[in-house]
Amino acid sequence: MTRTFKIGIFSDEEKFISGIKNLQEQEFQIHDVFTPYPVHEVFHLLKRRSRLPTAAYFFGLFAIIATLAFLYYTSVVDWPIVYGGKPFNSFPSFIVVTIVLTIFTVTIASLALFSARSKLFPGRENTIFDHRATDDKFVIVVETEIMDAASAERAGKLMEEQGAIEIIDKKFEKIAS
Amino acid sequence: MYNSKIRGPLVEGNKTFGQITRDVIAPMEVRLGLWWPIVFGISTAAGIYGFYSIYITVYKGIGTWGVNNTVGWGWAIVNFVWWIGIGHAGTAFSIFLLILRQKWRTSINRAAEAMTVFAVISAALFPALHMGRVWLAFYIFPYPNTRGPLWVNFNSPLFWDFTAITAYLLISASFWYLGMLPDLATVRDKSTSKIRKALYAFFSLGWTGSSRHWIRYESLSFILGGIAAVLVVSVHSIVATDFAVGIEPGWHSTIFPPFFVVGAIFSGFAMVMTLMVLIRKIYHLTDYITDNHLDAIARILIFISLIMGTAYLSEVFIAWYSGNEFEMFTFFRNRITGEYTMQFWGMIVCNAVIPQLFWFRKIRRNWIWLLMVSLSINIGMWLERFNIVITSLNKDYLPSNWASYTPTPIDIGVFVGTLGLFGIGVLLFMRYIPMMAISELKSVAHIGNKQED
Repeated sequence: MTRTFKIGIFSDEEKFISGIKNLQEQEFQIHDVFTPYPVHEVFHLLKRRSRLPTAAYFFGLFAIIATLAFLYYTSVVDWPIVYGGKPFNSFPSFIVVTIVLTIFTVTIASLALFSARSKLFPGRENTIFDHRATDDKFVIVVETEIMDAASAERAGKLMEEQGAIEIIDKKFEKIAS
Repeated sequence: MYNSKIRGPLVEGNKTFGQITRDVIAPMEVRLGLWWPIVFGISTAAGIYGFYSIYITVYKGIGTWGVNNTVGWGWAIVNFVWWIGIGHAGTAFSIFLLILRQKWRTSINRAAEAMTVFAVISAALFPALHMGRVWLAFYIFPYPNTRGPLWVNFNSPLFWDFTAITAYLLISASFWYLGMLPDLATVRDKSTSKIRKALYAFFSLGWTGSSRHWIRYESLSFILGGIAAVLVVSVHSIVATDFAVGIEPGWHSTIFPPFFVVGAIFSGFAMVMTLMVLIRKIYHLTDYITDNHLDAIARILIFISLIMGTAYLSEVFIAWYSGNEFEMFTFFRNRITGEYTMQFWGMIVCNAVIPQLFWFRKIRRNWIWLLMVSLSINIGMWLERFNIVITSLNKDYLPSNWASYTPTPIDIGVFVGTLGLFGIGVLLFMRYIPMMAISELKSVAHIGNKQED
């Protein structure tokens, strides 16, 4: 299925923000926006939220329990050895390994989750709406498939009024993002 | 909040975003000067010497090193601690400054993280070789084995060290790579050659700069930064406990962990300074790595240098104040005076005295001085590790055990080899990866610049 998009290119951050606001006021659905660096206002406007911190917390919790359980199993259950007269379960000296492995697990697991959720992995080719978005332009993408020709035209007009330097119509066979 | 008019602009010259992209990518696209192949050749030669020395070490055993029954830890451990210290630059620099929201880190963090990765790889070589039978190095992994299963000693700082360094290497490499994603995508979209485009497309993992990508990217950087900040303190504390749990005079001291951590950050920042001064000079990046940036690093260096001086003094003071004759002997007869007195005074001069030159604004603003002082700190920090490792071991409790230590050409070769490895890594980094975080530079480009006023 071919999908059509109207793409507004902005070269100024403030005009770009007001472009998004205007489109939202007129109740246009914004497909996505692309920026050369993170713009925090965009996250508020498009209600983008990340639950990675929550996930990371649970990864950490899992790692702490798993590491301590492993240390307990190896040092107390499986093959107990007395080191320097310390008890088998010498908890204080397990703390260091636990901290390090927790940090390690949280890092690797969060990275994996990030990669899976954002669909970023080696060889992945996500649709690039306009390649200038990684350089110096701010890009708003509105899907026009779902609306009639007149409102598609209006979306383009609106962006132009807000200072878009270019409005492009593009068709894509398949969208990956 | 970040628009401090006192600090001055973070990027000078009112750059547009397009200009920033071009300026940072330019070193990857211009024809190389003659210096690059020359330095690369030297590094490769050093690497080959190192490879040969490692071959001899593995083939004949560590008897080819200068270590003996008394001085069981020689150059290998000195160099290991030195490299790990340098490896703290990346995390200290980019992670501490990230969570403290110090925006001036932006033009330097990428290079500092790259240095960390290469330095930690160099460091990890030494303990592995020091095991003697390096092909059995995997014994240190706690895995279910046919030897019992006998587990490793989880109470031992040497094992903690292994976990800490492995984790540190993988975490700093991931953090570095994550930061690179948007910039690799920029290179992909900017490049005209097909092969280059395909390569950078592969490594940028399909980054598009979508708002969905950015929000997760930001929150992931803060998660990684926040938890890895612990590692800046923990890794070198654990290295310090390797020494502090030993009952050698001069090692058995509670000051070791903080003393080592501060020393690590000191040598790391000094190495960042050395590299930044050179990169800035070679690639004419004075608009990005401004005088103010170097000034800030120099100020941090004076501060740390004062802490180092205090630590050296307090060690000597405590040796005297404790009244312990072995401690007294180690510090007063075997360090301040004695066989290795040059190394002790070299350390004091390089680490505690010479950096005081940074009190002068003129010196903080002169690249030759910055280079000289930062190099002297690097040398001083190496001497410090030599002092700690060798002078405590060579004359301990039993005079009949006393022995001298001199490195062999094989010892020197492994060290020179790691220097070569580090050099090769940094040169390839400067050639194939954007040296500064382009996307982060864009987000701070307006700070302190004219249109803001």
